[in-house]
Amino acid sequence: MASVQLAEVTKRFGSVAAVRRLTLEVRDGELLTLLGPSGCGKTTTLRLVAGFLAPEEGRIRFGGRDVTTLPPEHRNVGIVFQNYALFPHMTVAQNVAFGLEVRGRPASEVRARVGEILERVQLQGLEQRYPHQLSGGQQQRVALARALVINPQVLLLDEPLANLDAKLREEVRFYIRHLQRELGITTIYVTHDQAEAMVLADRIALLRDGVLQQVAPPEEVYRRPRSRWVADFVGLCNFLPGQVLGREDGSLVVDTPVGVVRCAGAADAGRVVVCVRPESLRQDAGGTNRIAGVVRERTFLGNLLDLRVSCPRGVVLRVQLPPVRDVRPGESLALAFEPQDAWAVPEED
Amino acid sequence: MARAAELTGPEVRRLNRLSLPPALLLVPAGLFLVVFFLVPYLNMVRMSFLTKAPGAAFSHVLTVENYLRVLQDAFYWRVIARTFWLAGLTTLLTLVLGYPLAYTIARAAGPRRPLLLMLLLAPLLVGAVVRSYGWMIWLGRMGLINQALRALGWGEAELMYNTLGILIGLVHVYLPFMVLAIASSLEQIPADVELAARSLGASPWRAFWRVTWPLSLPGVFSGAMLVFVLALSAYVIPILLGGNNVLVMPMLIVQMLLDAFHWPLGSAMAMVLFGLASLVLWLYVKAMNRALRWIPR
Repeated sequence: MASVQLAEVTKRFGSVAAVRRLTLEVRDGELLTLLGPSGCGKTTTLRLVAGFLAPEEGRIRFGGRDVTTLPPEHRNVGIVFQNYALFPHMTVAQNVAFGLEVRGRPASEVRARVGEILERVQLQGLEQRYPHQLSGGQQQRVALARALVINPQVLLLDEPLANLDAKLREEVRFYIRHLQRELGITTIYVTHDQAEAMVLADRIALLRDGVLQQVAPPEEVYRRPRSRWVADFVGLCNFLPGQVLGREDGSLVVDTPVGVVRCAGAADAGRVVVCVRPESLRQDAGGTNRIAGVVRERTFLGNLLDLRVSCPRGVVLRVQLPPVRDVRPGESLALAFEPQDAWAVPEED
Repeated sequence: MARAAELTGPEVRRLNRLSLPPALLLVPAGLFLVVFFLVPYLNMVRMSFLTKAPGAAFSHVLTVENYLRVLQDAFYWRVIARTFWLAGLTTLLTLVLGYPLAYTIARAAGPRRPLLLMLLLAPLLVGAVVRSYGWMIWLGRMGLINQALRALGWGEAELMYNTLGILIGLVHVYLPFMVLAIASSLEQIPADVELAARSLGASPWRAFWRVTWPLSLPGVFSGAMLVFVLALSAYVIPILLGGNNVLVMPMLIVQMLLDAFHWPLGSAMAMVLFGLASLVLWLYVKAMNRALRWIPR
């Protein structure tokens, strides 16, 4: 096991920088997700760590050892590809044995280790099958077993759940988390699915256009986003642009179109955007930040009522209420949110 | 991706099928093959069992004499062996020369790929006859290569009217078939599979031999089969570049039919060649299926 450090790493394709001056540390034994929309540079970053690509600038280190120019076969990295990239001409056992065989391990050891790892991923009995004779979930576990059998220093997962159906995805997600914790293996997990990142990650690194936006534990990313873009990408969010008036009792006082609100935030002056999550808005006539509005649209989501509420000066808020009492379009609502549930970010991204 | 809502292959095929009985779709091509291939072929089978008549091509007397003559004569067996040997060697050489070329084409990026493909296929626009004459200009005793050798005082080399000349011609003409078959197979290998091998500790060469090469075997097998069959039945190139010094079966068959005017014997020779070729291909396909049993069927 080892930590992974990227220092000022830049990778260009032609004139386009896929990754720009990326500095990031994945701690020993940590599961870090690289999260971002497609084309944000997360897969490129993964490939840089794997050694499939070489950066134009910057250094990559595994536990202090510089691997920037080391070819992939000497990095001891396990990787699971989105399409699994199993060897179609090899059986399950041969696929898993590959990494040990090219390392020249004795046949008896190979057999024992392959048996062990296949048992761990619950694929005993399928040793002689070819990949095309397996279900998607089974192929995924073969890919995982093949990557883990070599005892990699670092495990890289490139959207490993993207090709599974929703039910299985849920299951495998927890399984991967469990396995990673048990093995204590440093893991980088690439995904564009923020829910997946939330469930799995010790920390989330958000990438946008090749630039790192924020690295923090899931809760911090969600509750204390570094920018409007982060708040918008992770979960649903209402944005209230405003002017900072000052600080009072530790809260920031901001003048917004829906009135003066108190919130948390790093900024102390100037123009800001106050981020309020739909679930932070409650039906409450007595809270700190009160907003009056009229329900325009209502959608029943089962565990939630999803509302669009028209507020003063043309502001439309997305509100999610527990469905204990039904609310109908046209109905007037008194909404409120607590200062610590709202977060001001600088207006400029 | 909502798998459940997607129609699976057979359902889509049923949905998109023209409302014609499938047999009807086979009629045009089938008719063509029957009239211009099957009927003449059967006629040739019949011919091979007839007797040569004095002053005519054949008479309607049934016999197996023609087959016995071919099969009992060591001369014919030598020609048959040479024909198969030349076809096999051509196949091997096109494979050795073609694989790196196919690899380059399959891995070429951007505008380089269509350019390479065009260069590969351009010679096909010129017929085998013209190309053989082209080679004669290079390889002949007064050809460009020998002129150069003489100018350098190195004497001259026998490049033509022998096995070497035929091989050069066959390899040149059939190389594109091998390259296309291998390249299309290589192109179907996902790039990630090789990268996976590398990440598991394989050097680039090791990754090639353990992953890329076996996955390209379908192309190698089909390319080899195509080139072998084409080289086995080649006529123009052996006659032009081999002179009459190197006899192969197609030449012998044509001589028998046109020069000796012995249609029954010529037909029997063609049938023997066909039978042996079928046997070789049958064994080949069996071996191929064993080697490629990982392919989903």
